[in-house]
Amino acid sequence: MTGKKFTSDVVIGLEIHAELDTDTKLFCGCSRKAEEDEEPNTRTCEVCLGHPGSKPVVNKKSVEFALKLCLALGCRINLELIFSRKSYFYPDMAKNYQISQYEIPLGEKGELAISTGKPIGITRVHMEEDPAALIHPAGMRESSYVLVDYNRSGDPLVEIVTEPDLASAEEARDFMKQLISVLEYLEIFDIDTGIIKADANISIKDTRYTRVEIKNITGFKEIERALKYEIARQKEFKDEIVQETRAWDSEKAMTFSLRKKEVEEEYGYIIDPDLTITEITKDWIESLKKDMPELAQQKTEKFSKEYKLDVQDAQILAADRLLAELFEKVAEEVDPVLAARWLRRELMRVLHYNNQEVRDLVADEKHIIELLKMVEENEITDATAKEILEKLVENPFSPKQYVAKTGARKIADTKQLERFCEEAISENPKAVEDFKAGEEKAIQFIVGQVMRKSKGQADPKKVNEIIKEKIR
Amino acid sequence: MNTIEFIQKIRNGEIDPAENIARVMEEISKLNKEYNHFNMIADDAEKQAKNINLKGRLAGLPVSVKDCICVKGMESRSGSKILSGYKPVFDATAVRKVREEGGIIIGKTSQDEFGFGSFSSNMGEGFETPLNPVDKKRACGGSSGGSGGITAKISFPHISLGESTGGSIASPASFCGVTGLCPTYGRVSRYGLIDYGNSLDKIGPMAKSVSGAALMLEIIAGHDKNESTSLDKPVDAYTDYLQKDIKGMRIGVIREAFGEGIDDEVSEKVKDAISRLEDMGAKTEEVSLPLTMKYGIPAYYLISTSEASTNLAKFCGMRYGKTEELEDGFNKYFSKVRSSNLGEEAKRRIMLGTFARMAGYRDAYYIKALKVRSMIIKEYKKVFKKFDLLASPTMPSIAPKFSDIEKLSPLQQYMMDVLTVGPNIAGLPHLSVNAGELKGMPVGMMMVGDHLEEKKLVQAGGKLE
Repeated sequence: MTGKKFTSDVVIGLEIHAELDTDTKLFCGCSRKAEEDEEPNTRTCEVCLGHPGSKPVVNKKSVEFALKLCLALGCRINLELIFSRKSYFYPDMAKNYQISQYEIPLGEKGELAISTGKPIGITRVHMEEDPAALIHPAGMRESSYVLVDYNRSGDPLVEIVTEPDLASAEEARDFMKQLISVLEYLEIFDIDTGIIKADANISIKDTRYTRVEIKNITGFKEIERALKYEIARQKEFKDEIVQETRAWDSEKAMTFSLRKKEVEEEYGYIIDPDLTITEITKDWIESLKKDMPELAQQKTEKFSKEYKLDVQDAQILAADRLLAELFEKVAEEVDPVLAARWLRRELMRVLHYNNQEVRDLVADEKHIIELLKMVEENEITDATAKEILEKLVENPFSPKQYVAKTGARKIADTKQLERFCEEAISENPKAVEDFKAGEEKAIQFIVGQVMRKSKGQADPKKVNEIIKEKIR
Repeated sequence: MNTIEFIQKIRNGEIDPAENIARVMEEISKLNKEYNHFNMIADDAEKQAKNINLKGRLAGLPVSVKDCICVKGMESRSGSKILSGYKPVFDATAVRKVREEGGIIIGKTSQDEFGFGSFSSNMGEGFETPLNPVDKKRACGGSSGGSGGITAKISFPHISLGESTGGSIASPASFCGVTGLCPTYGRVSRYGLIDYGNSLDKIGPMAKSVSGAALMLEIIAGHDKNESTSLDKPVDAYTDYLQKDIKGMRIGVIREAFGEGIDDEVSEKVKDAISRLEDMGAKTEEVSLPLTMKYGIPAYYLISTSEASTNLAKFCGMRYGKTEELEDGFNKYFSKVRSSNLGEEAKRRIMLGTFARMAGYRDAYYIKALKVRSMIIKEYKKVFKKFDLLASPTMPSIAPKFSDIEKLSPLQQYMMDVLTVGPNIAGLPHLSVNAGELKGMPVGMMMVGDHLEEKKLVQAGGKLE
């Protein structure tokens, strides 16, 4: 953390590691993508195993991915990519040093706003290789031995270090969500298989900002849980809180001490002499800039300004890249406000009910557009549209043809509607009396009866009008 | 019969490679009992000989390889007990190229542990010290001592692959009386080289003649996509330069290299050789390299040990090499493996290098040494505006006796590199050729060229044979 003067009750800074979604590892040609049911230590070579004599070569694609992130976070980009060796002994390290970046990171001094609009400073973004995975067969603290799997060894990571600008566990979670959204928009991170981990530095006013570091928190939900626990712990044990490094045990939902006295860690950095300096040319940056997609925050602004959506709708649509892209296509053909309402509420409800995400959607934008056009033009009722949407999530079909085939079209024939209304009025004298006595709600019951008679194909607004007219 | 004639005879079918190699293996096995030039002698040389590329530019040629260069399936220990049993799963790029051209790998030559020495006397535990081919009481030089020794002693055509970080090709070439050609940094791929100081390490040939060294360099030089620091520049036809005359070639004679700390008789022998070059038309003039001569040694030892201390961290008895009984946590286990299997000089350099890069000392030592290196390169570059080559003795003396080496402190030993660290720290190509004899021992003369000017070294060096 920098030497800022803290004032808030809680001060949090994050160091986030995200795995870049490249085809191959950072310094060798091994595939980065795990095969299904792969055996440990099969996706390896002499380089990612750190065999004597092997040498690293930088994967250029991973540099491009990291540069895109720097651009998205508004970082100042250093024009020389220099890797250093971070030395420490640990069984998950193939070489007992990690190839990382030290003095000059790839990007510096960026910013990312959380959903409230509050900007969070980005201190630096740098690249490094992932160590191997340690498997504790009997649990992290119980196992008497560990197994090492090098399949992950050498995967490309970006480390994003924030300023201590976050003031609560919720803000930390929000920040992680925003960051994941950026990574996804840039298509440099695979949310299904990619690893995203955070180390959090946290301190509170009550302890005069005694810094505690919590290592290895996986995912944005966990970060909120871990930090909430830690804030509560620090508030409870105020005077006993010491500067230390702790770990988060997700299963037991608590943090525990790893190292008490926090001495400045000693990594003896040297410039990695096996790698030459990669020059990052202005042309390279410019060509990447041309490729940069619109990000969630830009889309939110566009949706609320151009499409006149309310900010919350705009934010929710924009947070998910695929949902936002679907919305943009649909909004070209259908009223954006109507499209926004249907996508964000109904589509999301149906998807969640089926345990699906937008990327699992089998129907495409043409189906959705067909469906919403019928809603927009009053050809079908909302009830019918919802019913069709539920079916569309299971398998794709043309909503238009479906309506034609099943006769689910909205009843436009007024005489038919009047007949249903008259029947409902005569069958429910009590409700009619109640309405006349001033009980406005009673009319809803009669409307409901008409809807049932029409199998949902009546327009409830029109039914309401007809009934009111007939009762008076 | 020189190497080039031999290869021609193999290609013509006049010599059978399998018959020849059988005799070679017999000789080196016998020699090794006496001189310890090999850590490991190949048991498949005759099998290799039956499957060689008979049209290759090294067809049938026996090639020995310094222990620190990986040979697939052949125990490669870099002279250290800690790598006992380590058989690489791949060939170093240089070794692969040798095989592709029909060369036969006959064994791994002895060296100081991990290259940490100037005499091949800092042997790893359990390794025999290579003895000087002229006088067994004396050292071969180092760290490519085994390569130098066998190159001098073998009676058959042969070339060795040596490796230099701070002078490890030139020193044994000088003490054993053979040719050692250390190329420009990056000219030969380091892929498969067990690292000492990665920003300084160079693989280069050692041979009985300049022509053999030139031929081998033509083959092993060139870009390697698997090695980031290898240079993507065309390779010269070095052997073509053997015939070219040296009329008008400008040679700078390094003033400091003939002064204090340098044996007078050695200086005289080298001056004689330089005047022979003058007779053939070279123009000589004295030149001074004050910065290099003063700060070369400290800068070299800080950079090389900083890098070495990270390179050697991977040797911890976990994935390959020597293991110990598993007990306690990983920290204690790693310490046990490293304490009991690394030699004294390896431990000294690990500690020195770790200290030089620690927070608080890093700027004063490691970073400053990098800056000094840049200044040394500048000093050389300025001189090469005026000269084609620089000349000096290779080593300050003839090969010392082991009994004298024992009396030297580590610092006095480090000072033996005073003439060779300059070109090594600046990544400049240099050649050591035999300039004569003193008390029956060979005296080496070193010439240094500008980056990628190996051809000029071949051109001038060939004239002294």
